[in-house]
Amino acid sequence: MSTRIPPTDVLMRAATDYLERELLPTLQGYHRFQTRVSINVLRTAMRELQLGAGFDATEHARLIALLGHRCDEPDPVLALNDELAAAIASGRLGLDAPGLVDHLRQTLADALAIDNPKWIARDPR
Amino acid sequence: MTTPAEVAAALAAALGREAAPGEVRALQRLTGGATKQTWSFDWVSGARHEPLILQQTPVASAPCPSLSETRPLRAPKLSAEQDAALMVIARAGGVPAPVVRLVLAPGDGLGPAYVTERVDGETLGRRIVEHADFATARPLMARQCGEILAHIHHLPTTGLPFLATLSPQDELAVYGGLLAQFEMRHPALEYALRWVRQNLPTRWEPRVVHSDFRTGNLIVGADGVRCVLDWEIARVGDPMQDLGVLCMRTWRFGGAGEVGGFGSRDELYAAYERTAGIPVDPQRVRFWEAFSNLKWAISCVRRGLAQPADGAPASVELCAVGRRLEEPLWDFFSLIACAHA
Repeated sequence: MSTRIPPTDVLMRAATDYLERELLPTLQGYHRFQTRVSINVLRTAMRELQLGAGFDATEHARLIALLGHRCDEPDPVLALNDELAAAIASGRLGLDAPGLVDHLRQTLADALAIDNPKWIARDPR
Repeated sequence: MTTPAEVAAALAAALGREAAPGEVRALQRLTGGATKQTWSFDWVSGARHEPLILQQTPVASAPCPSLSETRPLRAPKLSAEQDAALMVIARAGGVPAPVVRLVLAPGDGLGPAYVTERVDGETLGRRIVEHADFATARPLMARQCGEILAHIHHLPTTGLPFLATLSPQDELAVYGGLLAQFEMRHPALEYALRWVRQNLPTRWEPRVVHSDFRTGNLIVGADGVRCVLDWEIARVGDPMQDLGVLCMRTWRFGGAGEVGGFGSRDELYAAYERTAGIPVDPQRVRFWEAFSNLKWAISCVRRGLAQPADGAPASVELCAVGRRLEEPLWDFFSLIACAHA
């Protein structure tokens, strides 16, 4: 938790609320659309601040279980993902490898909880 | 060519040269179209008053490095002239493509561009699948789309030598190649690429395919589909791919109905088979729907990582599309779970 005051999430929320509640209603056409997109992008960044570290930790644990080893790289989640991607691309890890699809779907679900939470909620399947 | 006044003057010169002089009125740039500029205007010449559209396309980019040992492969992208030629042939084949009025020459000063007749109606996906104005149209549209696709798939390829033929393997090489240009490794994308490689159709009959036939690229009125737009990535390939694209959840815009957010697969398939005399292979449609989700995911990556020459990030709009990467991948895994069940 940051000791800076106010914390990052409060700064971003204040800026986003201004854009949405005060600026957006005054705009039309091109700038209205671009501002709407900017608000969405800021909300995505705020969800990532809130949820990202937790998702990274559980993804890290799943990657270790799937690949069978730990990793000493400075960014172990990135390095293990590179390894997993290469293993899938080369066929070393088959498409039916136990736990693989479940891991990939969970990783996508976590990313969607940040990028577009409605996507899974509205999945008709 | 940037200002509306310059566009209007160039249009008046070009249109006036081929018949009687006239005046460009009510010129306005339409929103939408991330890669091209679309203008709406009226051409008034004597007693004639024509509602028209000007479509300007960017100059074709250089081919990407060869991805195949036998011939260079690239994602198809028609020039304005080819695009217009295809629309003329499509119309002659019973497809409601835009009516081409004029293909502009290099000397006209508008770049690669053409003028078509303007068709009244809505293109915004969300409005088409939700708004009460289209409540009577929606129940008609799956059948209409089946019939239109059947006509597209019967277009003669002989008059269209510029259309690239892409086998399913070629499609994978082209779109996988676009992803390989980036320094990113993404396990779910790699999984999807490998799944597609292992499930490529072996039997398919080459047909003209639109390949971007979907809600958002159709002009819709109260009577349903009035016009099919955006022909510039057409190609010759497996016709089942057009049916798969139309069913993608991304292009349903939140609407009910697995076809375009408005209709059912049964209606689409029945109308297609009745008109085309080509049986629908639902398994192969699902394959193309899954593959088209992968292609859209790759497009999201390309847009999100696109960089102007100065090294700044892409526009906020392109950045936001980048973060849509997981939507089609999520749908991809839902589709292949379905296929294996």
